[in-house]
Amino acid sequence: MTALVQKLTVAVGTPDGAQLHATVAGRDDAPVTLVLAHGWTLAQAAWDDVAAELAPEVAAGELRLVRYDQRGHGRSTWGSAEPVSIDLLGSDLAAVLDRCAPRGPVVLGGHSMGGMTIMCLAAASPELIGSRVRGVALVDTSAGDLHRTPHTRAQRLQQRLQPGVLAFALAQAKLVERLRRLTPPSSPRHQRIVRGLLYGADATDAMVRRGAEIMHASSVRSFVAFYPALGEHDKRDGLAALTRVPVEVLVGEEDKLTPVRHSRQLAEVLPDAVLHVEPRCSHMLPQERPQLVAAALRRLLHAAVAAAGAGATG
Amino acid sequence: MTSTRSTPTGTQLTPGREVGVAIIGSGFAGLGLAIRLRQRGETDFLVLERGDDVGGTWRDNTYPGAACDVQSNLYSFSFAPNPDWPRTYSAQPEIQAYLRTTAERFGVYPHCVFGADVTGARWDDEARRWRITTSAGELTARVLVSAAGALADPVYPDIPGLDSFAGTVMHSARWDAGHDLGGEQVAVIGTGASAIQIVPAIQPQVAGLAVYQRTPPWIVPRGDRPVRPAAQRVYRRLPAVQKAVRGALYAGREVLVVGMAKQRALLKPVGRAAKAHLDGQVRDPQLRAALTPDYTIGCKRILISNDYYPAVSAPNAEVVTAGIAEVRPHSIVTRDGVERPTDTIVLATGFAVTDLPIAHRVTGRDGRTLAQVWDEGMVTNRGATVAGFPNLFLLVGPNVGVGHTSMVYMIESQLNYVLDGLRTMAEEGLDVLETTPQAQDAYRQLIADRSRGTVWLAGGCGSWYLDRHGHNTTLWPDFTFRFRQLTRRLDRENYVGTPAGARPEVAA
Repeated sequence: MTALVQKLTVAVGTPDGAQLHATVAGRDDAPVTLVLAHGWTLAQAAWDDVAAELAPEVAAGELRLVRYDQRGHGRSTWGSAEPVSIDLLGSDLAAVLDRCAPRGPVVLGGHSMGGMTIMCLAAASPELIGSRVRGVALVDTSAGDLHRTPHTRAQRLQQRLQPGVLAFALAQAKLVERLRRLTPPSSPRHQRIVRGLLYGADATDAMVRRGAEIMHASSVRSFVAFYPALGEHDKRDGLAALTRVPVEVLVGEEDKLTPVRHSRQLAEVLPDAVLHVEPRCSHMLPQERPQLVAAALRRLLHAAVAAAGAGATG
Repeated sequence: MTSTRSTPTGTQLTPGREVGVAIIGSGFAGLGLAIRLRQRGETDFLVLERGDDVGGTWRDNTYPGAACDVQSNLYSFSFAPNPDWPRTYSAQPEIQAYLRTTAERFGVYPHCVFGADVTGARWDDEARRWRITTSAGELTARVLVSAAGALADPVYPDIPGLDSFAGTVMHSARWDAGHDLGGEQVAVIGTGASAIQIVPAIQPQVAGLAVYQRTPPWIVPRGDRPVRPAAQRVYRRLPAVQKAVRGALYAGREVLVVGMAKQRALLKPVGRAAKAHLDGQVRDPQLRAALTPDYTIGCKRILISNDYYPAVSAPNAEVVTAGIAEVRPHSIVTRDGVERPTDTIVLATGFAVTDLPIAHRVTGRDGRTLAQVWDEGMVTNRGATVAGFPNLFLLVGPNVGVGHTSMVYMIESQLNYVLDGLRTMAEEGLDVLETTPQAQDAYRQLIADRSRGTVWLAGGCGSWYLDRHGHNTTLWPDFTFRFRQLTRRLDRENYVGTPAGARPEVAA
């Protein structure tokens, strides 16, 4: 038999009682651990293509790969904390690090809301950045200002109605679920909507369908509960710690959810960060360009291992 | 509950002991026969039990979550109704308590020899007796009844390296309640009826749970609820009401046979209900795909559970579909090259059903064991008797199994047959009663004809219902009331009887 890949399924507990479904692949004595955080209404499966790219390194014992479902997403439960916030997700990530990557250098990768999660961790626990965390990849994400000040009357009306609409959706979650089932991810209509919202010109139908299936599995509650949390996310003044480590910022040129300006803003706050704007792509780079994302992660991983080898303090 | 009560003592085997009827096993079948004999005023019989109490499968299977898939009102003796069942579907401790209470009530315990594992039974053609050796001594019997059952001897899978595993290995039917699974990485191998009860019971306490699945089962909701005290009072005062409930449950389940054995298209709504159950409980698309069966519902046993899907969807659980390549001292390696650290392995791998262990220990007239005679497939007359094995009756033998309803109904049908056989021997003054090869051939043909086109053969799955030749040798392939009709009386024309003192009759 060729090299074996060690795999472990872990339920990471959080202080407020949530159980996070984490998957650890690779040897305990690998020189570096990569922890990936997924986006809103997605799950760790959104990283499947990137994980496949990195599988040889995991099999070779060069990398430990930790993926987890954010609370209320995938197979992770909700805790008692209400309302949820991205800061809460940041402390969840700290719990994942404690449990699944207690030793050695760590590189963090976050997509969309997962990127915001990393920013919140950096703001709340700056001492981790540079000591444990040796590199960060921020993919299709934003430091804040996502729900912009409305300009037109229609936008103002929409913003005024939003909380009521969301509360109604949550109260009628069963009904909404039934309506969602009427247009399953296999339906062309469903795929058209998802493609228009999230994918760029190069995305294949299989890619769109796969993403649609992951999102379809998410609950109405995860949509409703995190929508306002995303609007409140603002870490534009809290990213100082991230200047201590290599950062790669990636975004699709056609991203409609976290448009390119958000990544440019990150690159301004983090002057040493490498910014990559990928043409013909939108908001789903881990699926649309897994090789590009994996290459960025690899650069960070190599740097982390090299720094550790050079005797950087740990 | 009776579990704290000490076991009533049985009897001992004295040297040279002779007995009219020796019964192997004291599960539902052996106990049922003993009770029916007692009811007829018979006392010349012994129940040989390898364990230290009655109960059989229900005594041995003490794993967490062990419960019956059939409602207790139906899964109980018709002649010993229990108005006090606490739940519609009772758990193992309640069923075991019922068997003990019933055994005591009908005076069966004084006939039980505990610790008597039957190591061999040989037909002595000179003496016209069965010579039986057990771990508790020897005895001679005029008639031997094997009620050893099909779900008796655990099957240990042939996985490379399993012997080298440094952690704990336990079979579901040999559960070690003293072993604490708390905080362990636990592997459950198998996804059959035992596994889907164990998994939800242990998932909350273990650190990590990996369920190794070869074929996913079809699972439908379990309508289990406590029995209201008012209902228990009605059952106590008006036994006819409980009997009517039992009849309704029986009829409802028998309808499934129409789909499984007659018109497979009728299973479609059942399949849709099971799929909706899965989709409603499992959101993760990859997990859902892994848990979706690709064969017709009913081909393998339909399982019932409300908590299996939530348990395998829990944050600490994983369903592994890649086959197991080998077990290492501290891990399990699958064929996709993944190694999972493992502290305890739970083998929920079922029982030796198509190769009944007792068949290896029973030797007939020509010196061959039942297993040798059955090497090309199990043949019997009406699931109960075998040519060349005089004065032997099998309970819960070949083609008596059912997947859709209560096994106790089938057992009671068989009891009618055995009792009529014993009555025939007594009335005609027969020393020896033996079925004919012709009767066996005809019965094999009957089973094959009725199995043709059933979901078990044509549903696109392999299962423990089929032997290694792909023949149905375990299930009764028709309505169970047809089996009852077939076994209401001994089919005397298919038997050769030898009166006491006479030379053997020439087989017709």
